Amino acid sequence: MKSQVSQTKTVLSSNKRKKLKKYSVLYLMLLPGLLSVFVFSYCTFPGVIIAFKDYNMFRGIFGSDWAGFKHFEDIFTLPEFSGAIWNTMKLSFWNLLFGQTVPLLFALLLNEVKSMKYKRVVQTVSYLPHFLSTMAIIGMSYALFSTYGIINDTRVAMFGEETERVKYLAQQWFFVPNIVGTNIWAGFGWGSIIYLSTIAGIDAEMYEAAEIDGASRFKQCIYITLPCIMPTFVMLFIMAIGNLLRDSFDMVYGLQNAFINYETISTVVYKQGIVAGNYSLSTALGLFQGVIGLVLVLVTNKLSKKINNIGLW
Amino acid sequence: MKESIGYRIFKFFLYILMAVISAVCLVPFLHTLAKALNDGNDTMRGGITIFPRAFTWQNFQTLLADTSLYRAALVSVAIVITVVVTHIAIQFMSAYVLSNEDLPGRRKIMLFTIIPTFITGGTIPTYILFANLGLLNNFMVYWLPGLYSFYNVMILRSYIESSVPMALREAAKLDGAGEIRTMIQIVFPLCKPVLATVALWLAVGAWNNWSTTLMYITDPDLFNLQYKLMEVIKESERLQQLLQQSQMTGEVVNEQVKSTPESLQCAQVIITTLPIVMVYPFLQKYFVKGVTIGAVK
Repeated sequence: MKSQVSQTKTVLSSNKRKKLKKYSVLYLMLLPGLLSVFVFSYCTFPGVIIAFKDYNMFRGIFGSDWAGFKHFEDIFTLPEFSGAIWNTMKLSFWNLLFGQTVPLLFALLLNEVKSMKYKRVVQTVSYLPHFLSTMAIIGMSYALFSTYGIINDTRVAMFGEETERVKYLAQQWFFVPNIVGTNIWAGFGWGSIIYLSTIAGIDAEMYEAAEIDGASRFKQCIYITLPCIMPTFVMLFIMAIGNLLRDSFDMVYGLQNAFINYETISTVVYKQGIVAGNYSLSTALGLFQGVIGLVLVLVTNKLSKKINNIGLW
Repeated sequence: MKESIGYRIFKFFLYILMAVISAVCLVPFLHTLAKALNDGNDTMRGGITIFPRAFTWQNFQTLLADTSLYRAALVSVAIVITVVVTHIAIQFMSAYVLSNEDLPGRRKIMLFTIIPTFITGGTIPTYILFANLGLLNNFMVYWLPGLYSFYNVMILRSYIESSVPMALREAAKLDGAGEIRTMIQIVFPLCKPVLATVALWLAVGAWNNWSTTLMYITDPDLFNLQYKLMEVIKESERLQQLLQQSQMTGEVVNEQVKSTPESLQCAQVIITTLPIVMVYPFLQKYFVKGVTIGAVK
């Protein structure tokens, strides 16, 4: 009896050793990836403390003097910074509103197109903008909206020769609509893929049953398709809300020019931080942005779980 | 079942709407292409639609006479190649490991890698870190920091889990193949579709990236094509501002400033987007595949 126990023990330990050997290779294979996450993500975290310090490049992150909450007071009182926070929220609001709904609407409409060939062509074309760089898109928008671009040409053709040609990209009022519109243009097709694939997965029997009951196509859409894609929509919405204070630096910075005065958090951080060297102040603004973003994700996730039982985790 | 008249009318307008939407997607590109192929002075008269009116290769010839553009193109190609090779290697390897459901600590490792997608140090701490690591004005900044991507690894992992039977891997190991050999000879060939998707995403992202250059690079030898395009666009803006100022002050503007760079700008847009637009129609299905894999989660 006793020898039997010790025998199973030795078998177990040799098994364990075998397992460890098997896993050691696996862990080793994982090491480069984890190391890069650690170095390039986690190692940036301590740098955040310079938001509470007066960062001195020569004395380093830990050697610089403490400054308390001075920089946070600054970001709310200096108009340049508080203005950027407002601007970011305004921009994000419109991006959230249209960026989330247009792909959904497009997917619902495209789903009604029954000719597969036509559908395929529309899809292929609508995904294309997603793969163009922000800079290329901005370049195109300069061509489109220039004094002798296609938009002004169309206006002249419609309203007569004496119509004044507007330099749209030099108009302050046009800046936000342009960014929001360009974002929709660049993202609606790609954003619809996830909805289309969800719709494709809906049980066809549900539609058949609804048809027998006399539901019109419109009603089928409202009562079957929409509820089925709602979880996806809510999930994407939560993620988008977390980005409420994050703006697309590429787009805003790229479209800024001498006639436009519209700074967002990311452009201020870049200009004040990397260009002008106000590291601590910019870090404070970035930290504020990050913390709010995190809180927003957590809160929306919790709310959505309570109301809809849908959440990211 | 017969369609109602209302639905037929709806369908008619729907097909027209879809055509309009497709046109809206294409017109900006075609308009830019037309301007790039049109004589610069003729473009200033307006009225260019999606076809060039006074056809010329002149704009492209002017641009291609600038040797720094070749250098930038070379940098862009080098970025794409290094990013695709190194990122695919690391991410596929990580996905392969994480697809072992019995791996001790798997959940903790996942948590470790998902946290940075929600919390980051921010622009400035990242900049300081990169400066301390000597990544400023260093080609490595283009590929090293993004080596691991939580999202890509998730997609690769779920594909491996769903499409490569565990029994196959066990069989290979019984035949004496180690983990690395199993990964390269058994799993890798079976993952070609998803690898194509992720590789394409990586390639497009690397090709289109210009903010990395803006943030971390000041050495002109390391500028890429997209950054060059940004310079051109910003330059032409400054030029226009100069023009407007001189109009207000009544100064005489010399001819050099007057000649509009708009058609050159368009030509540069075309040069930087052409590689993508050319391969896109043929590889479209691979581009899309990953989204649906990721959606299954």
